[in-house]
Amino acid sequence: MAGFEILDPTVEPRRQPLTYVPRPDSLRGKRIGLVENTKFNSDKLLVKIGEILKQDYGAAETRMWRKHNAGVPAHAEIIEEAKRTVDVVVAGIGD
Amino acid sequence: MTARITSQRYAVDDFQEALDLCYRKGWTDGLPVVPPTEAAVRAMLDAAGLEPDAQVAFITNRQVAITAEKVAINAVMAGCLPEYMPVVLAALEGIADPRWGYHGPATSTGSAAVLMIVNGPIAKRLDFNAGDNLFSPGWRANATVGRAVRLVMRNVIGTLPGRLDRGTFGHPGRYTYVMAENEADSPWTPLHVERAGCRPSDSAVTVMAALAPIQFYNQLSSTAAGVLTTLCDTMRYPGQIGQPNYCVVLAGEHMRTIAADGWSKADIRKFIFENTTNTIAHFKRTGRLPGAVKPGDETTTRTLVQSPDDILVVAAGGRAGSFSCFIPGWASRTSSEAVTVVIKERRA
Repeated sequence: MAGFEILDPTVEPRRQPLTYVPRPDSLRGKRIGLVENTKFNSDKLLVKIGEILKQDYGAAETRMWRKHNAGVPAHAEIIEEAKRTVDVVVAGIGD
Repeated sequence: MTARITSQRYAVDDFQEALDLCYRKGWTDGLPVVPPTEAAVRAMLDAAGLEPDAQVAFITNRQVAITAEKVAINAVMAGCLPEYMPVVLAALEGIADPRWGYHGPATSTGSAAVLMIVNGPIAKRLDFNAGDNLFSPGWRANATVGRAVRLVMRNVIGTLPGRLDRGTFGHPGRYTYVMAENEADSPWTPLHVERAGCRPSDSAVTVMAALAPIQFYNQLSSTAAGVLTTLCDTMRYPGQIGQPNYCVVLAGEHMRTIAADGWSKADIRKFIFENTTNTIAHFKRTGRLPGAVKPGDETTTRTLVQSPDDILVVAAGGRAGSFSCFIPGWASRTSSEAVTVVIKERRA
């Protein structure tokens, strides 16, 4: 049998630059957004984290959003509101 | 068709070297694959009437465009005939649909597979099995179409077990999980006509994020309610809470018994919906809902799915045997729902 060629079935992931916003030097006085992913205890875990950020790190306040489900990114309304109303966001899962 | 095929090429001396390369590169599902040569890939694209760079679907959360070329390569590897391509393409459109919600069912510890239900004239023409040994090996269309979709998930979308795909168990349906509805013998409206408003002459594939099939046995009942009572008793316990869909597959003997009582698919769905409720107390006692049992929990019930329409009733399976089965969906209604896609037999 003569030699032949076969084709690669995979794709190279598209590379995209990812830019992070500058991190705050301190959480003192900052407004904290919490994004929970709908799984059991996800909200409780984030509430606890929010309390620690307020008590131990001086954060001013927290507010929480709930994603549509665990498998999707935070939806547009969350992103828009977060941009307007908080300085820092903590996203986490409970499972 | 003139556009170039741009995938990287690998020169090999013979079949064995091609196979070894595919294994070494991690391109297979563990079984040997057909080496994807340009001629075979061209035949696959021609059958679908697609240029290599045509975008078939886009997986948003992975930012991956699935092109016809990559689908064709993986379909060749899976062992598909070129005429299967339109079915593979439609299934991929289905799992890329936001309602199906690719990321969850593809990667969750909950281990869904892609159940594909083929309806319409294409099922018979391409010899998709709808009858005896429904989920068994032996039918090329069933075996390779599901396999092609899984290879695209692996090789194009990057859904690699142990890495992005964290299934706790997975299940055998992840090799392939394809059936056709037995429209020839069914007394009922086909699934694609009911769910998607298709004409019976249309062909379509319904994709559902699905766990493994669970069969039940009833050799005693001669009535629709009798057979379905056994189904409901079996069906109401194994699931999680709030699954989006269940698929109920009624095989020959049960199909005839239920139809003889004049029940439609809508009647079947209603009966199942009403007879698979559980109490909140039951869910709490069995660790499916949090908290202690409270007054009222014993009499407050919860349905298996949100609506009777979330139960997909399909006539398929062997002519003989007092068995039918049901297939639980994965996760919750907001995470994934079954999607029906019309099969475009040849694309411009």
